[in-house]
Amino acid sequence: MPGELSRAAAIVGAAEANEIGYPETPKTALQLHIEAIKNVSEQTGIPISKIDGIFSAGWSSQIAEHLGLHPKYIDTTSVGGCSFEMHVHHALAAIHAGIIDIALVTHGENGWSQRATGGRGTGRARGMDPWDPGSLFSNPYGVSGAPSNYSHAMTRHNHRWGSTPEDFAHIAVVTRQWAMLNPRAIMFSKETNPGGGPITVEDVNNARLVSWPLTLLHCCLVTDHGGAVLIAKPEIAKSLKTKPVWIAGAGENMSHSNMLEMEDFTATSAAASSAAAYKMAGMGPEDMEMAMLYDSFTVTAGITAEMLGLAPRGEGFRLWKDGHAAPGGKFPINTNGGGLSFNHSGMYGMQLLVEAYRQLSGTAEDGGYSGLPGKQTKARSCVVNGTGGSLSTTGTLVLVAD
Amino acid sequence: MAYNKPIPEPDPLNKVFWEGAKAGKLMLPRCTSCNRVHWYPRIICPHCHAREIEWIEGSGVGYIHTFAVQHRAFGGWAEEVPFVTAYIDLQEGDRMFTVLRGVDPTKPESIQIGAKVKVEFEQANDDVAIPFWRVV
Repeated sequence: MPGELSRAAAIVGAAEANEIGYPETPKTALQLHIEAIKNVSEQTGIPISKIDGIFSAGWSSQIAEHLGLHPKYIDTTSVGGCSFEMHVHHALAAIHAGIIDIALVTHGENGWSQRATGGRGTGRARGMDPWDPGSLFSNPYGVSGAPSNYSHAMTRHNHRWGSTPEDFAHIAVVTRQWAMLNPRAIMFSKETNPGGGPITVEDVNNARLVSWPLTLLHCCLVTDHGGAVLIAKPEIAKSLKTKPVWIAGAGENMSHSNMLEMEDFTATSAAASSAAAYKMAGMGPEDMEMAMLYDSFTVTAGITAEMLGLAPRGEGFRLWKDGHAAPGGKFPINTNGGGLSFNHSGMYGMQLLVEAYRQLSGTAEDGGYSGLPGKQTKARSCVVNGTGGSLSTTGTLVLVAD
Repeated sequence: MAYNKPIPEPDPLNKVFWEGAKAGKLMLPRCTSCNRVHWYPRIICPHCHAREIEWIEGSGVGYIHTFAVQHRAFGGWAEEVPFVTAYIDLQEGDRMFTVLRGVDPTKPESIQIGAKVKVEFEQANDDVAIPFWRVV
């Protein structure tokens, strides 16, 4: 039986920023936010002035000020790329409690432009972070960002479950097939990027090593991206020109912050966050018709499929390897081309929401606000899972169309 | 040549650890309430939340839990690529991170998860000796 919060609110619109990827002129994160917010307002017909709750990964007061809003609910949960799935969870609760009617979840991040302007990736080792005491005992050892950490999880998965890097390479290959259906994807074709177009398992294996066993093609892109979704209470959701996508279930959890504290390198808190989401929805993995899984790395998506109950432990990669996750397959995963081949600004969880809404709502046919033409699946239900930090934090949503 | 990689700055919370390191000892925090070792050092036991923490001298023995070979790094570490990083299961419990020594980074398939390792210390400056683990 569904929980009390199930379907207490719906996502009623989802849009992207206008210019994403590798913009010629560097963009600020705020610009990317505002473009997406304006687009989702036009898409839904909800005036920006009607937004009474704001949810972003850290910048809610700045964004609200920029828009001249005085929101009644302000959330800045920022725990990595899954923050936006958590925002949806929090917005659902706030709407159910009657505190707000319309919530804005928004994200803008200039992962690419920051590099262009020298703000990041300048070759300095990260300093010791007083908020991360474990870093005193990990930063001295030459690790440099996510790839150098996540590779340890792949090694352990291979050891414990008998998988191979080649098994995970199929995730990159299949995700690229989806990107080739999405003209906004960085890796859509050789024309959009020299590295674009089809890839093979051999290409993934032979790509430049970043952090063995991860080659470059096991890793996500670093781009600029922005996105925004609006969430409304049922009375409003049913009155709009866009179709509601119901938040049937939501859950969040975490296992650690610093990877030093990750007990099982082949498991994440998505087991717990999805259990909560399925319970609220009164549904299970067998009821899901597609999935949007954060794919910062191939190993992230593979392990997540296991945690969500979509595949047995140790065998998540099989969904891709056996073709089920591919275009035309029985269980589509990451239909936008994923963080691996579409776009990944640093915190990708917003794009999971935008794409899940696009596939479930019918807006995929309009070719308008999200910018992505074409609906790739007939799915009416989707499990969405964001993963943040170093396989640290997770937010899971069960989304259902009417 | 002077040590050219990031050097941790000891703080009061882990002063005992760094003093031990200078003397070639692996000091570990252990809760006197539940007797479990934890890593990294804290003012509260992450297992039972007692505040009574003592320092013990560890055996300096551990086992490889998982590893990776870094082919991209910054600063002084950039000169060392490829190098192997690893999480080490301590004989006393819990886990440390390290750059692994005594292994061939060009042959990762030759590195065994579960292999026994021993700690050693490299003097980085007058105050700090950094622990590294070596396959024995």
